[in-house]
Amino acid sequence: MIAPPGLRAWQPSGSAGRWFVPAAARLMRLELRHNAMPCLLPLAIALFGVLTYRKTLAMPPLWYVRVDDTQSGLVLDFATSVAGAAAWMGSREARRRVTDLLETVARPRFTRLLASWAATSCWAVAGCVLCLAAVYWATSLRASWGGPLWWPAAVVVASMPAFAALGFGAGVLVPSRFTAPVVTIATFFVVALSTELIVGSQSYWQVSPVVSAAWDVGADPGVATFYPYLPDLSIAQLMFLAGLTVAVVAAATGLPRVSGSRRLRVAAAVASTAGLLTAGTAVDLAGTGTLNAHGMIVIPALHDAADDRPLQFTPVCSRTAIPVCLNPAYAVYLPAAASALGPVLSEIAGLPGAPVRVIQSGTTYQQGPANEVLISLAGPVVSGRPPVYRLLLPDQLGGLQLSPGQLTGVLRAGTDPSVIASVVGDGPGASAAQRAVAAALLLAAREPYRALAAGTVSGVLAPGTPVRQSVPSRGRRVAGAGQGLIPAPVFAAALRFTALPASARHAWLVRNLAALRAGRITLARLP
Amino acid sequence: MSYDWLAGPRGVAAIRPSGPRLRTRPAPAGTRLAWLYLVSRRVPAAAAVIAGCAAGLRIALIAHWDTYGALQLPLVFETLAAAAVTACSASPFGEPERVAVRRLPWLRLATALALTAVAAGALATAGAGAQLSGGTLDVLRNVLGIVGLGLLCAAGVGASLAWAGPTTYLIVGVYALYTQWHGPALTTPWVWPARPPHDVGAALCAGLVFVTGTVVVTVRGARDRSGDRD
Repeated sequence: MIAPPGLRAWQPSGSAGRWFVPAAARLMRLELRHNAMPCLLPLAIALFGVLTYRKTLAMPPLWYVRVDDTQSGLVLDFATSVAGAAAWMGSREARRRVTDLLETVARPRFTRLLASWAATSCWAVAGCVLCLAAVYWATSLRASWGGPLWWPAAVVVASMPAFAALGFGAGVLVPSRFTAPVVTIATFFVVALSTELIVGSQSYWQVSPVVSAAWDVGADPGVATFYPYLPDLSIAQLMFLAGLTVAVVAAATGLPRVSGSRRLRVAAAVASTAGLLTAGTAVDLAGTGTLNAHGMIVIPALHDAADDRPLQFTPVCSRTAIPVCLNPAYAVYLPAAASALGPVLSEIAGLPGAPVRVIQSGTTYQQGPANEVLISLAGPVVSGRPPVYRLLLPDQLGGLQLSPGQLTGVLRAGTDPSVIASVVGDGPGASAAQRAVAAALLLAAREPYRALAAGTVSGVLAPGTPVRQSVPSRGRRVAGAGQGLIPAPVFAAALRFTALPASARHAWLVRNLAALRAGRITLARLP
Repeated sequence: MSYDWLAGPRGVAAIRPSGPRLRTRPAPAGTRLAWLYLVSRRVPAAAAVIAGCAAGLRIALIAHWDTYGALQLPLVFETLAAAAVTACSASPFGEPERVAVRRLPWLRLATALALTAVAAGALATAGAGAQLSGGTLDVLRNVLGIVGLGLLCAAGVGASLAWAGPTTYLIVGVYALYTQWHGPALTTPWVWPARPPHDVGAALCAGLVFVTGTVVVTVRGARDRSGDRD
């Protein structure tokens, strides 16, 4: 008897000395080889490379920022391809008019369809893991602190079988050439545009895998650097995806009468119901989430109180007259921060009441009306004894991330006046002499006068003052020199004080700073 | 007018079931064969999908959307309509049809043009009187360009998976719209959905893609994949 070439390799045989390959593995191998997903995988990976990977790598090398962005992007890049390919595979038997023929084979319909869905999911997960590996590898090379966050990666990976299940179910139910494109677009519509329905932090739609964090906060560098990453939302999303996958796959493959034995159909019905219940519970849990003070979603039923403790880290400090210390995750910004603050810190170093250290502080987040989130410095600007100035980098305030060069400019314009004001007591209701000395110290530090004129010299921030309203944002025009807020006599006194030798200026401040702060020195008494 | 180019069997009318109750006059053979061609390409189903898109767009426009949603919404429906047009390029017969029918390219061309016109018209009508981002010009340009892209994919990888081209392009287009706020903006005219409706470069690119796709599918037809016969 002559068999076609290669047939022997497929036969399970123990007598011929070959190792036994289980039938399920052979079926899976066949499905992997004849799947539509490998055709679409390059497209999805290219999409990821062009849209998500490029953008992610342009972000600061902070694990949370990059992983958060990757979750949203990767899910969107892959969802349509996976759902479409699965819909195409699900409709294969009907499309090829082999449904009746396949009823006669030994394997039940349930097994055949399950293998087809599993193969599609395997390809999708493989592509997805490849993309995740690229991002994690690139981030690990540049991140100065912290470790990879695995929960978002788990959500991305779990969403692939879920999208495959949805597409596959649609393909099995409505086998048509239009099913795949309709499912693809519907998936995109639901995944991408459903986020429009998220209002505030308590929204059921946060269960969508495209939502990687508090939707109104996004990939904020201030999150998960001073406090641990909270996996609450990720856990709810994983529950939802797992439940959805089981429910749809069991319903599509096991429930129809032709799927297999009665016992199998009952098991499929039970699994489908359990999956639906799990998914529903997850949606309900996601709806109970609230934005906590650290910028993450807390779901009370899933929350571990141990995650509320601040992270322990050794800050990285500059060698300026007063050390500038940053969270090690922000080490890349240290040279820029030292360059921006160094001259001013040299002016005030050694003065009574001057900060002994400038240390980066965490932010606090507060949900406002609708989709507004208020981000501010957690606690007072100056605290402790000896005093420590608590710095907030502009990147921590949300929005676009700054390059080190941009950061220098923003710190000079916003933080330098604030540091000086904290020493001389400048602020709302400050005396003319205090304003003149503050201006003089800024001028002495060779800061552009526009920073002074921007108005930030006029106040130490009161505790709890929203920093967004106080630090010049990158989109705000900084006032020019001609638009100064300082009266001419005050400015003249400032110029006079600046003209003093640095040692004389410093000595005068050492003697008179307490009186100056108390408002007992008039403009005329300034040297 | 002769319909012999359809190459249908001469005696088609003779095999129709006939009896004393069937008194209606049979349609000309050419019309019947043209209808059969359209049915074989699932044109009625595509028309239904397009009608569904128009209805969906109209309903969606009633709801309140923020700027992102308002800009991205029409593109989603335009892409679905274009994918439906693309799906009609698949032939269930393959080689036998190519051999038997002499002027098949004209049928392909007419089908593609007619369905594209229907898609653009239906979506433009759905947006009439509502706040449709970009207006009719935008709809026309986007539908033309994406249909062209889909037809090119049908000629390249087969009509069965041709939807992947438009749907991938949808994501690129949505991303390009997003970058209008979150730079650096994608401003190339090849990503025409992100360009203003009166942008000549974008219109030319979309038109070029449509013409190329239509010509390729007209001349060569969609690439056949054996076995798929839905």
